Amino acid sequence: MDWAQLWEIASKPDNIPIVALLFLVPFFTWYAFRQAFANDRLIDRLEQDKALAKTHHRKVEPFRKEWEQKVYVWPYLLRIEFLVSIVVTVILMVWSITLNAPLEEPANPNLTMNPSKAPWYFLGLQEMLVYFDPWIAGVLMPSLIVVGLMVIPYIDMNPLGNGYYTFRQRKFALLTFGFGFIILWLVMVFIGTFIRGPGWMWFWPGATWDHHRLVFETNRDLHEILGVTGGQPWIGLVGATAVGLYFAIFGWLTHKLITWNDFNRKIYERMTLVQYLTLQTFLVIMWALPVKILLRLLFRVKYVMVTPWFNI
Amino acid sequence: MSDSKQQQSSRPEDRPVPQEDPITTSSLATPIAIFSLLLMLTLVWALYDEVLGLRPWIGYQNDFVEAYGEALMEMKPLRAQEEAAIYASEGYQELQQALQQAEAEIETGLAEVEQEERILVPRLAAINKPFTTARSRLQAAIYLLETAGESSKPGLEEDLEELRTGPYLIEVPEPDGTRFEKSYSYGELEKEFNDLKELQGELQGRTVELLRTPTQLRRELNIYADARLTSVTEAQVEGLQTRLDNFPIAIKQIHNAEMGLVDRCESCHAGVREPVVLTPETMGGEPLFASHSNRQLLEIHDPEVFGCSPCHNGNGVATVGIDEGHGRYKHWLWPLHPQENFEAGCLQCHESDRRLELSPTLDAGKQLFYQRGCQGCHSREGFEQEPRLLRETQKSLSDLALERNEIELERQRTIGIADAAETNQEADRLYSQADVLTLNIADIDTQLDGLEIREADLMLEVKKTGPNLKEVKAKLKKEWIPAWISNPHDFRVNSKMPRFRLDEQQVRAVSAYVWQSGIEADLPQQPSGNPGQGQTLFETRGCMACHSIGEGDETTGGTFAANLSRVGEKTNYEFLVRWVHNPKQRTLPYCPIHEREITPEDYASQGLPFEFDLEHNQCPLGDHLLHTQQPTIMPNLRLSWDESRDIASYLMTQAHEDTVYAAAEYMDDPVLAEEGRALVQHFGCAGCHEISGFENEGKIGTDLTKEGSKPIERLDFGLLTHDAKSEGWYDTKGFFERKLADPAIWDQGKVKESLERLRMPNFELSPEEIRQLTTFLLGSVESVIPPDFHYQPDDERQEIQKGWWLVTKYNCVACHEFSPGQKTVVEDLPLYQDPDWRGQLPPSLVGEGARVDPNWLARFLRNPALSQTEINRNGIRPYLEARMPTFDLSDREIQQLVRFFGALSKQSLPYTAPVLEPLSSQELTMARELFTHRAAPCLRCHAVGDPVADADATAPNFLLVPERLKSDWTERWIVHPEIIRPGTNMPSGLFREEGPRWVFGLADVPSLRGYDQDHAELMVRYMFQYTPAEQRRLTGR
Repeated sequence: MDWAQLWEIASKPDNIPIVALLFLVPFFTWYAFRQAFANDRLIDRLEQDKALAKTHHRKVEPFRKEWEQKVYVWPYLLRIEFLVSIVVTVILMVWSITLNAPLEEPANPNLTMNPSKAPWYFLGLQEMLVYFDPWIAGVLMPSLIVVGLMVIPYIDMNPLGNGYYTFRQRKFALLTFGFGFIILWLVMVFIGTFIRGPGWMWFWPGATWDHHRLVFETNRDLHEILGVTGGQPWIGLVGATAVGLYFAIFGWLTHKLITWNDFNRKIYERMTLVQYLTLQTFLVIMWALPVKILLRLLFRVKYVMVTPWFNI
Repeated sequence: MSDSKQQQSSRPEDRPVPQEDPITTSSLATPIAIFSLLLMLTLVWALYDEVLGLRPWIGYQNDFVEAYGEALMEMKPLRAQEEAAIYASEGYQELQQALQQAEAEIETGLAEVEQEERILVPRLAAINKPFTTARSRLQAAIYLLETAGESSKPGLEEDLEELRTGPYLIEVPEPDGTRFEKSYSYGELEKEFNDLKELQGELQGRTVELLRTPTQLRRELNIYADARLTSVTEAQVEGLQTRLDNFPIAIKQIHNAEMGLVDRCESCHAGVREPVVLTPETMGGEPLFASHSNRQLLEIHDPEVFGCSPCHNGNGVATVGIDEGHGRYKHWLWPLHPQENFEAGCLQCHESDRRLELSPTLDAGKQLFYQRGCQGCHSREGFEQEPRLLRETQKSLSDLALERNEIELERQRTIGIADAAETNQEADRLYSQADVLTLNIADIDTQLDGLEIREADLMLEVKKTGPNLKEVKAKLKKEWIPAWISNPHDFRVNSKMPRFRLDEQQVRAVSAYVWQSGIEADLPQQPSGNPGQGQTLFETRGCMACHSIGEGDETTGGTFAANLSRVGEKTNYEFLVRWVHNPKQRTLPYCPIHEREITPEDYASQGLPFEFDLEHNQCPLGDHLLHTQQPTIMPNLRLSWDESRDIASYLMTQAHEDTVYAAAEYMDDPVLAEEGRALVQHFGCAGCHEISGFENEGKIGTDLTKEGSKPIERLDFGLLTHDAKSEGWYDTKGFFERKLADPAIWDQGKVKESLERLRMPNFELSPEEIRQLTTFLLGSVESVIPPDFHYQPDDERQEIQKGWWLVTKYNCVACHEFSPGQKTVVEDLPLYQDPDWRGQLPPSLVGEGARVDPNWLARFLRNPALSQTEINRNGIRPYLEARMPTFDLSDREIQQLVRFFGALSKQSLPYTAPVLEPLSSQELTMARELFTHRAAPCLRCHAVGDPVADADATAPNFLLVPERLKSDWTERWIVHPEIIRPGTNMPSGLFREEGPRWVFGLADVPSLRGYDQDHAELMVRYMFQYTPAEQRRLTGR
């Protein structure tokens, strides 16, 4: 265990936000879910007690009847925000006094830095470049992420859960987002920061980042693994079949997910065909990312589909 | 009811629900108070950081003011005491009295001048303004007249005339205070004004004249005091105190825009340039405030121009902390030079200099780099340029020869066409074209001649660090070779030959190749000599200036060349005799065009005698030059064959009797030799040795010219990278030091094939040598200082540095002193510790350039015997046992050395000997009498060229004087030998000063009584017309 190496990575001023992320994201996730579960219990209670439901306006559980029926923004919210703003200011000031902006070596075109890393918030994108064609990882996927986030309000036909934390009423939305952001995006950022060392090689945390390390890793295209020779269009067709198969299987799985239980089915019935297809497309493409990561890391598959114009 | 409801809701936690509403009833006052307080604290912290934390120099400067103030307070009474002692000293008092007396003497004179000035000044003041006004008007009127039209001229002329006549009325003041009015015309006015001005000038002149003596005395007084003061005066201390009282706490910055320099080092190192020497002790134990440790360096390099960081490195702009300012953080390319390597900073501007008085470490590093043969494998600008120049010259020669052939063909073709031309006009045109080509050929021929001379020069200049391995068969005992190759340091502790990390098979292969690539030589049998006599010769002829002998603690002699303690174990006697007799002699000459040795058969095939030396250096097989000399630095001592045999016999006794070398038949195996050939190439043996088949081999190592600037990522620390980083030596210094101590270090733990391993051999360098070389390498950087600031003198200093390269190349410095205080090797040899032998030391060459005629010097360097026939002698000092050897210098080098000596003594070149007035017959008689006077018979010590008479001569022959010496130096020499050469045998006080001339001081010479000219000059004139005939006449032989 090379503690010095670990400390070097963790203490780098560049990486402070990511180290903070390691603690803050689990905390806030836990905290949000705690609130959501409390609300779920409240929903249970109000559904059983219609009379109470008519008078109860606060999203708090458990509660006593003697408590205020309403709590006003001023002073009750604003004073908390005021406190938080003080805390944040203190943190930012201490941070800026103690840590300077990291400077690096003078630019030298003959000697590039290794590993050469993007700023932390782009490390996920950089990590994606390992698995996909640059055109897909660098252009297509980021655009789809942005468009997908914009599309959410238009395909979300679940009317519940607006303005309060709840898990039960928005399971599908929460799990999908949790998977996409926390599992995919943040894990990739973490890999980019802590795992990827010189030569963008895979170093488990605690391993020494050795610039001279040599590993035997040969990535092969799917058609090579399957032993298909003969050039285009055959290898393209093999890839297209595999991709088609993927879309078929994961489309079916996604449909199963969308129609998982009665509640989901109710939402599904509210959706138009366009909304449904949009949702399907984005979800299937999102699943493609972990699938490709696993194919690469476990089976050393370089590209599934090879064509003269693009590779997948 | 509500309670039951409460119970119904399923709660995983059993936390009781509070009675009071936690939002509306709880107070946030405490956390807000705490965090507001924290916010205030961070604000204070930020302010502190802004004012002091990021400006540590403010604290340092405050401390400095305090510590310096105390130091000055302590110093003041001591300074006053010292000053008072000097003022009370006799010398000072005398001078002061003289000054007072002089001041008293001029008092009346000054009063007179003052009196006259009292009259003059008001008069001048009264006339000054009216005159200048009148002059302006007059000049304006003249201008108007000059530029006016013809018609208006008469009127203007009248106006002008009016201005000229005036009258101008002036109130002239009288000495008694009254004034009277006087009328002037313009001309009179001008004259009066000029007269007064002249008088004023004269009065001023008189004042200066009067004050001359007192001013001079006052200056002497100050010089007297300054010379005796060890530091500042009390008044200066007071000045410093006043300045310190108003010491501004601010960034102290040196800015040189031309250099792109901003240095704020003095913001913390506040005492660096103080006029008082500050040590950590005087400054309260704070080394930060000490003065610069070498004031001399600061005097040469004005800090206002050069700042600090160009020499010391570091980040001159940074003021936020110690590590930042010193540049000791990641990614700063120029961290402060470590204390033990600080001279590295000199190199970037003093790249082409060989000897700098203030950087001994760097000089030693350069010397090591050259002497240990680093340049055999590594290119380094400034080192070993000769082989490159030789290759370039040979290339130009062959190119030019080709061009000449082409032009010749063109010429013949043109003439051919011209002959067949149809018209005369066309033929004429072509013939003239052919004429031009003929001229071109003639021009190329002259160029070829010049290049060939340069080639011959360079062939002499190219030297190899190791011996010529073509001679192994003649030179070495066969079975010794593998033992030597496997570890040279076993055989010879400080051997220049490094240890290559070869396995046994590789040693055998290399030995086999070396042995088989040697040329067959059949040296004549030599009778054995007298080892005892040989030892004496070895110790007295000067061999030990370069060579050492004896092992362990008993080692004596120079370190420039090999230790000869065990030379008898390895060498063949016949070869050694030839080597001692003339180390430059080759068995066969080498032809760079045919790329092989030229054999007697080759000579015979052309019907030429087998004869090759510096005169006979043409290849018998073509029109080009041969290498006729061994590429060794070792000079020819011009010993007789008998002496050579004696020395060789002595050296053959230098052996360990008990060492046994295993027979090595495998060295004759051609298969093994083929294997060895690849190894010889791989390990770059040809970098230092001349080896058959590798004469044109390139260098195998990396170029070190800018090695110090290499990015750290380009230096391969191998598996030690991680250790280096964690232990803090992941930098160029750490790399160089460890690599030099153990060149294989970066292979540690690596699995590599034998030929993939690092090739650099082990030199067994001492820690001190490693420090010197590391300093040299650290300084070998891409300079960030503009070339204008580099040391590139275009005067004699450049010649001096070029000369130092040469005198260190040939190790002249081992015997001769070139600059005052320079130590030589020979003066420390045991032999010369005997007072009787001190006089036998090789002459000091301080002032040589002023002493000798440069043309003669060139002749002497070419042939130190000064004779073509009697070469087994010293040309100038036959009485010295030590021999000035023949170095076979090229003409270029000789010229360079002559310029070096001239430059050292600030002599201008070329030199033309002044013509001395010939002696009249009367003067000749007087001179002879002086020359042979009983009180100082010159010829008692000076040699006369006769073996019997010269038996106890201790000075050179007078016959050399006219061509060798410069007359002005000779005169200074006979008057003051002790000043020019302390400790000389030449007696001082031969002449004494009598008014403006020197007269013979030892006795009253009757015939010179009426002679009113300079006696020393007379002697010089006599010596400069001294002839063999004159000498015969005096000696009677």
